[in-house]
Amino acid sequence: MLPYRSKKSVLIFLLPPLLFYGLGVLMPVIQSLFLSFFEWDGISDMQFVGLGNYAKMFAGDAVFWQAFGNSMIYMMICLVLQLGGALLVATLLMQLTRGREVIKTLYLLPAVISTVAIGFLFQRIYSMDPVGLLNRLLQVVGLGDLARPWLSDTHTVLAAVSVPEGWRFSGLYMLIIYAAFMSILAEIEEAAKLDGVNEWQLFAKIRFPYIRPVWITTVVMAVTYALRGFDIPYLLSNGRHGQLVTTYMYRTAFTNTNYGYASAMSVFIVVECLVAVGLIFGLMKRKVDE
Amino acid sequence: MTGVESLPSMRSWYKQSFNNVEGYRHHRRITVHRIITWVLIAIIMVIQVYPLLWLFITSVRTEHDFAAGDPFGIPQQFTLDNYARAFESGNLGRYILNSVIVTFGSNFFIVILGMMAAYALQVLRFKGGKIIRMIFMMGIIVPVQISLVPLFIDYSQVGLLDTYWSMIIPLAGFSIPMSVFLFSSFYQYIPSETYEAASIDGAGPYRIFAQITLPLSLNTIVTVVLVNSIFIWNEFIFANTFVLTDDLKTIPLGLQNYIGAMGNTDWTATFAAVCVTITPLMLVFLVLNKAMIQGLEGGATKG
Repeated sequence: MLPYRSKKSVLIFLLPPLLFYGLGVLMPVIQSLFLSFFEWDGISDMQFVGLGNYAKMFAGDAVFWQAFGNSMIYMMICLVLQLGGALLVATLLMQLTRGREVIKTLYLLPAVISTVAIGFLFQRIYSMDPVGLLNRLLQVVGLGDLARPWLSDTHTVLAAVSVPEGWRFSGLYMLIIYAAFMSILAEIEEAAKLDGVNEWQLFAKIRFPYIRPVWITTVVMAVTYALRGFDIPYLLSNGRHGQLVTTYMYRTAFTNTNYGYASAMSVFIVVECLVAVGLIFGLMKRKVDE
Repeated sequence: MTGVESLPSMRSWYKQSFNNVEGYRHHRRITVHRIITWVLIAIIMVIQVYPLLWLFITSVRTEHDFAAGDPFGIPQQFTLDNYARAFESGNLGRYILNSVIVTFGSNFFIVILGMMAAYALQVLRFKGGKIIRMIFMMGIIVPVQISLVPLFIDYSQVGLLDTYWSMIIPLAGFSIPMSVFLFSSFYQYIPSETYEAASIDGAGPYRIFAQITLPLSLNTIVTVVLVNSIFIWNEFIFANTFVLTDDLKTIPLGLQNYIGAMGNTDWTATFAAVCVTITPLMLVFLVLNKAMIQGLEGGATKG
């Protein structure tokens, strides 16, 4: 603490950031809450409907529930690809004696590319005419029957819009988990190896339990990012089969200009994130205590 | 770092294995193991990198080759026509300029405001500081979607819609929490003696900030700027919501202009445009990847 400081100096340093943060984040959150109790198209008068929007969302809107189900599947696919891929690659990296830096960099590369560019890329990967990379690959390995226009087939569109997001950010989580693996003292692992522990035991009994706090952080990050995932599903699909809560909310707001209902959905997304974080901490902390 | 340190001990461990009677068999198992590891890594690297490579290869294909040929094939002819068409048909230079302005503007506020808040919270300290810190930290998990409708309405009332500010305000606002967090976790490590000595010499809080805290923060500033630049350069949702005219479009929005309304898209030119726009960030990333990777690791593991 500084000996010579005045209230004024504290305010001078604190007010500008608070003001900016307040304008960009806090005020819109409060406004959304407020708007969610109204029905409004932006032009005619606002109409107070109480909890009407929430009642409609939970009880009267099948599209919302389908979007919610889609969001859950989207999240599962992202989690498996991102965290599963991250654990696998971090573990493989630990066994290498050289080339680690290069592989880390290359694995992270998709993370620096914009979602719009990734959207274009995957449109061509999934396409049927001209035959895209995925369908061509299936033909080459003799599974040509499976070839299809992945983004317009209602059975595959959800998976097709989820995979690019998983692919894109796996590198980020790999970095975090790898850094945590590296912080385990070399002596512990060597002692285990001398005791004849195999790679799987090393992972399951030593490394994974050791990095638990970091693992909780990465799960929280991956879950909350997946729950607010938007860009790629929005860019790659139009219909309701590839629609998430976020993209449904966006179209409700800016295509149908139903601001009140959209605000209720955006409040739902925030609550959903808070509940998810609470659940993760609750479940994973308890396991540590046992 | 631990990896480098453990190398000699690994080597002595190998030697020990050889000295054992069972050492040879052990060694062969390790070789098989290593081959499997490398094969797996190679497959994963192909999945991560080949699509990007394919993007670049396609951008130098002729249109005819793209439409008719095997997507995996090597281009029959090398052409830069696609790049020429990409610059002709779109406002590519303008989009790049807009992205540069938004990225610099947002970073400026993220760094300055993040440092100021961290200085007030960590160095000056005051009653109620804990609550203010919590309010900032809450911002880390608030989804950006909640701000879209209110900001759109507010902007249209005060005439900020379709300006650089309409993007910079929420981009900076949502990134300030992480910035405050990174700066204050760094300021913890500046020993209080440094400040006390400066105070005795008569320096007030402003001079101490300018002459001690700011110069010491350089490394953290680099980290914050690098990590945020990736997200801001590629940002889509705010730009897509608040920008209406072509003149203000950033790269992600501008790229969408290349998709033809009638479904006949000039894909090779589009890919050339994509390559032009992702190359700057990719080069920066490849050159500075050490600093960036440290930033990403640090930002996440400390959180």
